[in-house]
Amino acid sequence: MTAYLIRRVLGAIPLLLGVATLIFIVLNLAPGDPTAYYVSPGVAPEVIEQVRRNFGLDQPLHIRYVRWIGAFLTGNFGYSFGQNRPVSDVILDALPNTLILAGASLVLVFLLGVAVGVLQAVRQHSWLDRVLSVVSLFFYSMPSFWLGLMLMLIFALKAYEWGWPIALPPTGVTSIDYEFLSPGERIMDRLRHMVLPVTTLTLVLAAGIARYTRGQMLEVVRQDYIRTARAKGLPERTVILKHALRNSLIPVVTLLGLYLPLLFSGAVFVEVIFAWPGMGRVIVDAIFERDYPVVMATSFFFAGMVVLGSLVADLLYAAVDPRIRYD
Amino acid sequence: MTARYVRGVVGRGSVAAAMALALVAAVAGCGREGADAGARGGSVVVGMRADFGAFNPIVNTDIYTDELIKYALFTPLIQYDAELRPRPYLAEGWEMEADTAVVFRLRRDVRWHDGVPVTAEDVKFTFDLAKDPTTASLLASAYLSQVESATVVDSFTIRFDFSRPHAQAIEDFWWAPVPKHLLEGIPAEQLRTAPFNVSPVGSGPYRFVERRANERLVLERNPDFPAALGGPPALERVFFRIIPEAPTMLAELLTGGVQVDIPVAPDQAAQIAENDALELFAFPGRTFYYIGWNNRRAPFTDARVRRALALAIDRREIIDALLYGHGTPAAGPIPPWSPLDPGVEPLPYDTAEAAELLEQAGWTDRNRDGIREDARGTPLRFTLTTSDAPLNRAVVEVVQAQLRRVGVAADIRIVEFQTLLAQHRGRDFDAVFTNWVLDNFQVGSAPMALFHSRWANVAGSANRSSYANPRADALIESGIAETDPRAARRIWGDLTRLLQEEQPITFMFWLNELAAARRNVQNVEMDPRGELVSIARWSLAGGGR
Repeated sequence: MTAYLIRRVLGAIPLLLGVATLIFIVLNLAPGDPTAYYVSPGVAPEVIEQVRRNFGLDQPLHIRYVRWIGAFLTGNFGYSFGQNRPVSDVILDALPNTLILAGASLVLVFLLGVAVGVLQAVRQHSWLDRVLSVVSLFFYSMPSFWLGLMLMLIFALKAYEWGWPIALPPTGVTSIDYEFLSPGERIMDRLRHMVLPVTTLTLVLAAGIARYTRGQMLEVVRQDYIRTARAKGLPERTVILKHALRNSLIPVVTLLGLYLPLLFSGAVFVEVIFAWPGMGRVIVDAIFERDYPVVMATSFFFAGMVVLGSLVADLLYAAVDPRIRYD
Repeated sequence: MTARYVRGVVGRGSVAAAMALALVAAVAGCGREGADAGARGGSVVVGMRADFGAFNPIVNTDIYTDELIKYALFTPLIQYDAELRPRPYLAEGWEMEADTAVVFRLRRDVRWHDGVPVTAEDVKFTFDLAKDPTTASLLASAYLSQVESATVVDSFTIRFDFSRPHAQAIEDFWWAPVPKHLLEGIPAEQLRTAPFNVSPVGSGPYRFVERRANERLVLERNPDFPAALGGPPALERVFFRIIPEAPTMLAELLTGGVQVDIPVAPDQAAQIAENDALELFAFPGRTFYYIGWNNRRAPFTDARVRRALALAIDRREIIDALLYGHGTPAAGPIPPWSPLDPGVEPLPYDTAEAAELLEQAGWTDRNRDGIREDARGTPLRFTLTTSDAPLNRAVVEVVQAQLRRVGVAADIRIVEFQTLLAQHRGRDFDAVFTNWVLDNFQVGSAPMALFHSRWANVAGSANRSSYANPRADALIESGIAETDPRAARRIWGDLTRLLQEEQPITFMFWLNELAAARRNVQNVEMDPRGELVSIARWSLAGGGR
C-alpha cells in the first residue's frame, strides 16, 4: 500500500510539471499584460515599460519560463503583480476559506446525495421517487450563481424584511463585530455565514450524486446475491444498507475524486456571489489582471487537487471493494 | 490615482449580475437600521466592489485606494475645496517664485501614526523616490512631469523647482508624503513589494488597523489628528468590506450589512433613490467614453467621414437609455466640472448633416442596399470593437443601429478587455469603443497624451488613433504652459472646436459616479473629488453606540 502511494505520488510529479508548463505557455500566449488596467492617458509608454521590467516581463518567454520553474521548484512562487505580496501569502490567506467551504459541501454532497439516491431506489416508481427525481433534476440543471442569488434573496433579504428569526447574513465569512464575540457566538456566527454558500454548492452537486446512486442501487438490487440475502431472511434494512449500498457505492466513490476539483471550480461562482474570500476569487481576479505568478500558482494548486482527487478515489476503491488490493 | 481597475460601475461582464438585476430590482423597501459594532463613536461599514491596492502613494495604481490614501490614511500637501480650488493641507501655505518654483511651509503638528513628526525630509524623500524611474511610479507620471527637483530649506519648508512654467502648478502637489524613517532602507526596485504597502503607517485622520485580502480593511480614528485639519474623526472605526457582485452588495445595503455602497450600478440607481432609508449620490466623475477611429485606416483617413459618424450618433439617447441619465454628453477632453472648462457645446445629433458630409466624401448608396458605397463600390463597412463589459456591449449595439440609419454598416466585435487593449495599442483596429479615466483635475495631460503628434507613432502610447495635426500640437503646448486661467480656457476652447471638426476620436459621454449610503450615516459628501472626500467627518445619527 505504501509502495503504491509513493509510486502514485512520484508519477504525479511529471504530470504536474507538464500541466504547469502548459499553463505557462497558454497564459503567456493570451494577449494582454498586467499594466492593462492603467487606464489613464497620462501614463507614458516608458513608465509602462518600466513596470513590465520590474515584473520581469521584458525577458523572452523561455528565460522567464526557466526562471519561474526554477524558483517554483524551490518553493518560491514569486510576488503577486496585483497584490504586491508573496504569492504564498495570497494563497495561504485564501485557501482555508475555500477548504472550509468545499470541505463542508463535499461531506454534505455525499451524505445528502447518497441518502436521496438510496431512498429513491428503494421506493422506485413511488410518488416520493418521482418528486425527488424532479427536485434533484431541478437543482442539477440550475446554475450555482442563480441558485445562490435566489437563496440570498429569500433567506437573507426577504427574511430580513419580513423579520424572520432566521434571517441569514447575505455575504462574508464573519460579522464585522466578530472580534467582540464570545467563543460560542463566534462559532454560531461562522456557521450562520456558511449556511447559504454551503447550501448552494451542496444542492447543485448533490443532485448529481443522487441520480447516480439511484441508478447504481437499482442495478445492484437486481443481483442474485441480494435475492439470496433476502431469501435467507435478513431484514430489508440490512439488505439495503449493508449488502446493496456497499456495492453500489463503488462507482459513486470514484466520483468523489472527480468531485473534488468540481467543488473547487463550483466554489469560484459561489465565492464571488457570497463575497467569500477564497481561492476562486483569487484566481478569477488574477486571470483578468494577468497576474501571472498568482495564476500559475493557483492553477498548479488546482491541478494538484485533481491528481489528489483521483488518488483519493483509488484508495477509497480499496476501502469499499475488498477485491481491490494495491501492492 | 492614475489607474482605475475598470470594474465597479461598468465592470467586466457578469452573467450573475445581469440575470439577477431584474429580480433584485423587485425587492425594494427596507426596515430597521443596521447594527453598528464598535465602541464610543460607533462605526460604519463601507462595501467596495474590488479590493484595495497598495497603501503607498508611490506604488499604488488603484483609484479608490488613492482616495483612501488622500482622505483617510495620509496627508497630501494640498487638498481641493468643493469648487476644485487648491487649499492648504499638510502645507499651511506657499509662495510661487515667478512661475518657476514654489516654496511650501509645512504644518508642524502633523505626525506619523508612530508619533514621529512629518517633515520636509519626508516630502523630499517621497518626491525623489517617485521620480526615480525604477519605481515606475504613477504618482510621478500623474503629478510630477513638470517638477524638476525638491530642496529642503528647513525641517518644515521645502522648495520645488519646475522644469517650465505651466498651468495649475500648485495642483502638482496633490499627493501625500510617505515616512522616510520607515522606508529609506528599502531599495527602489523593491518598494512595490514592501510590507509597508499592506500595513502602512500613515499620517491622516484614520489609522490602519487590519487588512484581510479580498475580505476587509479596518481603520480607526487617529486621536492626535490636528484640529486645524478637522481634528480626530467622529467615528471610532471604519470597516471596508469587499463584495464583488452588485446585486449582492445591494442585498447587504438593504439589510444594513453595509451602510455605504461604492459604487452603485446605474440600473440600481432608481431603486436606491426611491428607498427612504437610503441616499443616492451621483456626481460627475473623471471617466469618459469615446469611439477611437483608426486615423490611418480607410475610411477614417477622411475627417469628413469621422465627423459624419459623430453627428449620426445620438448620445442623449444612449445616456438616457443605458446610463439611466447618469452621464453628460462629452464635447472634448476638458471635463465639464473643471474650472478650465471652455463651455463648448457637444456636437449635435444631426443625421441630415451627417448624410451630406458622407455624400461630399463620396459615399453614396449606389446599389440601393441601404449601405453607402464609394465610387469603386466598396461599402462603408467597418468593425467596431469593444470589451465585454455590459455597458460597452449595450452602447455599441445602439451605435450600430444609429449608424445604420445614415447608411453605415458597423460590425460589432466583442473581445475581452485585455485583447481589446492589445489591438488598440497595436493600432490593429478600425474603430473601438472604450474609456479613459483622468488622473486628477489638471486638464493638460490628457490632450497631450491623446492628441499630440509626438505620440502618434509611439508604440504603447495613448494617441492610439495616430492623430497628428500641427495646429493641435501648438494649442496643446500653449494650453499646458498658460498660467492665466482665462487665456487657458480660450485655448482649450479652440482645441475642443478643432477636435470637433476633425474628430480623431469621438467623445461620447462623461460617466457619473454613483454611490449610496444609509441615511443614518451623516456628513457624507460625494462630488468630483471622490466618494471618500468627507470620510474624516462621517458620523452616525445619534452619535453611535
